[in-house]
Amino acid sequence: MRQLTFSIFRFNPNIPGDKPRMQEYKLEEQDGMSMFVALTKIREELDPTLMFDFVCRAAICGSCAMLINGRPRLACKTLAKNMPSRITMMPLPVFKLIGDLCVDTGTWFKDLQIKTEAWVHTNKKFDPKALEEKMDNEVAEKIYEPDRCVECGCCVAACITANIRDDFIGATGINRVARFMLDPRDERSDADYFDVVGNEEGTFGCVGLMGCDDLCPMEIPLQENLAYVRRKMAAAGLKLQFQGVKVS
Amino acid sequence: MELAKNLQTTINKSHGKTDLYVDLAQSISGILLVGFLWMHMLFVSTVVINPALFDTLSIGLDKYYLAQFGIPGTVLLIIVHIFLAGRRAPLRLRDLRIAWRLTRMMNHYDTWVWAGQVITALMIGIMASMHLWTIMTSWPLRAATSAARVASVGPADHSFGGFEFPFFIVFYVIFLIVGEYHAGFGLYRIFVKWGWFERHKMGWLLKGITVIIIALGFTALYTFTQIAANLPAGGAIH
Ligand code: SF4
Ligand code: SF4
Ligand code: FES
Repeated sequence: MRQLTFSIFRFNPNIPGDKPRMQEYKLEEQDGMSMFVALTKIREELDPTLMFDFVCRAAICGSCAMLINGRPRLACKTLAKNMPSRITMMPLPVFKLIGDLCVDTGTWFKDLQIKTEAWVHTNKKFDPKALEEKMDNEVAEKIYEPDRCVECGCCVAACITANIRDDFIGATGINRVARFMLDPRDERSDADYFDVVGNEEGTFGCVGLMGCDDLCPMEIPLQENLAYVRRKMAAAGLKLQFQGVKVS
Repeated sequence: MELAKNLQTTINKSHGKTDLYVDLAQSISGILLVGFLWMHMLFVSTVVINPALFDTLSIGLDKYYLAQFGIPGTVLLIIVHIFLAGRRAPLRLRDLRIAWRLTRMMNHYDTWVWAGQVITALMIGIMASMHLWTIMTSWPLRAATSAARVASVGPADHSFGGFEFPFFIVFYVIFLIVGEYHAGFGLYRIFVKWGWFERHKMGWLLKGITVIIIALGFTALYTFTQIAANLPAGGAIH
């Protein structure tokens, strides 16, 4: 088995005087070793002060995203056998650094939920005793596609636009809106959606760099979903103009 | 997204449909310019078939005032496109630094291509102005004048220690590649954003077209140098 060298970003902004630096650790490669296993081993055997995030270890929670050899990836889904023997690890850009490889994606995503109003808008009264309404299987599957997003933030980190524009909602944000547009239970009109994403902070801010589409660890078809929202918003915007009033 | 919540962005929030129009105008100006460039190269390539055909076409464009309106129109379109597409480029030093570092670090194909587009855009800005200046100062445009221009060497005023350098042929080879690169990938990006075609297949198709047009351009340049070699001495312009 190979000897692996990990070069890991170290910096704790909460320690006064601490400076960002890269620190090296050496480990023996193991069968089926993921970056999660490697980091845990480093923390247990070499350096208990190393900070990084994990919850599910199975690409479900999205908390372990980091830059591995420069690319945003989920550490638990990245296997050592697919990597060269020298591996660099850095925290995701854009998000607030907590320390070493930990970033706060939670606050960013909470803001995103509020900004895109990411909940089903309906005037129907909820009756807890009534039988749940059935949804067409095809529709359900369509909604499920964008809904697979685990909020890891990889697409945000991979996007130059999101890196240089603080207010850009990123592919995950536009994808989120697509999810509600597809949902027949959401009663929002196109004009309502236009207010949310029909601007440069949303769909018209995207430059089409496709870092998001290529690097999303869940392989969500982001290009398609982004283009869907863009087309829909353009159509809505142009139609609005013709009639001079809000139309759905 | 912290900044999104402060007063500055609250009172200056974009209202209405400005962002949509600007984005649409960017895509449309891009498509029109690609159309112009590809057509331009097809017209120029007629010289490969026959210089007389090139002249007939050129005379026709002048006669029906297509050149007289087309050229200023295109210049205007380019200026509009610079403003529309330029707003997407990282302009602040801070943004440039972030964009450059991330591009190198991620080593992601499409992001590299985009970095190339920003660089070629700058080159086109300079080279298109030079190209325009030289064709306007040797108007009208005919196979012979173009050939003389392409083949001219300079600066060669030996009284000032000038040297001979085939400036224009080098200029046009670079200009051709840079221009077609920017156009081909620009169109790719527009299609990607609007999602009209499958991304990878369409990418290959556009690369194919770009290579063909560059090859056409090379053949045309070669033809011009051959024509120039047969021009009477002193008949050269520039
Ligand atoms: S869209 Fe993909 S890359 Fe982006 S946050 Fe969701 S799962 Fe992560
Ligand atoms: S396509 Fe590019 S600009 Fe648009 S969200 Fe994805 S990475 Fe960002
Ligand atoms: S630990 Fe949950 S996605 Fe990696």
